[in-house]
Amino acid sequence: MRGDRRVVIVPCSGIGKSYGTVSREAAYAVTQDLRPADSQLVPLALLVLGDEAARAAVAANPAVTIDGCKLACATKMVKESGGTVAQEVAVLDVYRRHKQFKPQGIAELNEGGQRLAHAVAEEISAKVDELREQSGGTADA
Amino acid sequence: MPDDLEATVDKFIFKVAKDRYYTNEGVWAKPEGTRVRIGLSDFLQQRSGDVAFAEVKPAGTSVRFGDEIALIETIKVNVSLTSPVQGVVDEVNPAMSTAPEVVNRDPYGAGWLAGIEATDWEADRLRLLDAEAYFSLMKGQAEEEAKKS
Repeated sequence: MRGDRRVVIVPCSGIGKSYGTVSREAAYAVTQDLRPADSQLVPLALLVLGDEAARAAVAANPAVTIDGCKLACATKMVKESGGTVAQEVAVLDVYRRHKQFKPQGIAELNEGGQRLAHAVAEEISAKVDELREQSGGTADA
Repeated sequence: MPDDLEATVDKFIFKVAKDRYYTNEGVWAKPEGTRVRIGLSDFLQQRSGDVAFAEVKPAGTSVRFGDEIALIETIKVNVSLTSPVQGVVDEVNPAMSTAPEVVNRDPYGAGWLAGIEATDWEADRLRLLDAEAYFSLMKGQAEEEAKKS
């Protein structure tokens, strides 16, 4: 991304649900493995708390939200924090396209859940690339 | 007169359409001539969660009262739904394969599951609950669930 601008990734913070875990695993995959130079993780809890650094990050950068259910807390919280949501990703929508990856488990996802998280991460990485190209930035190696 | 009965339990609002009949489990049956349209009640869809997939027995399938007619996979559970009528499935809502989330958005309208050509609707109807009776049952079930959470 141009300068210090990095796409903000905000995952669901739902505890005790497989789809929430999938969203967080996908966020880790993007920000730590797939696009570490072009993305940054902002925890939803910090936005809820009104953390200044988190609010500044979403205000200054495009955000991709990952929601585990239709309450769409991540998307709502980014908007309420003054951010711009470049893409809303619903884990359930991705699952509908990958029926073979049925997620199970909470603390530890089953193989289906891990593969679903990877599919979500790939879709987000593509969006990060698109945003990077729009801003004329550089790519992750 | 409103078309729905409505109950507020905890933070949830549940509606029961008055123009149809229900099984105890919350599958509705709406007669349309000799045909009966079926679907999930608002309470059943809310309790089950966001629908990921819905597999309904295909057109041409003969079903008896109580036979499995559909399997719904949601983000929480897999739900086996039983037929509220005896007859032959003559139509499956095409949205069930392309956009099953319509069950959550509009359970009494666009979220219908299937049409069944009923062979003995009058007999089946006697085994079902009318809207008022289902409303009372559903409200009790919802209040029980609210106590658990």
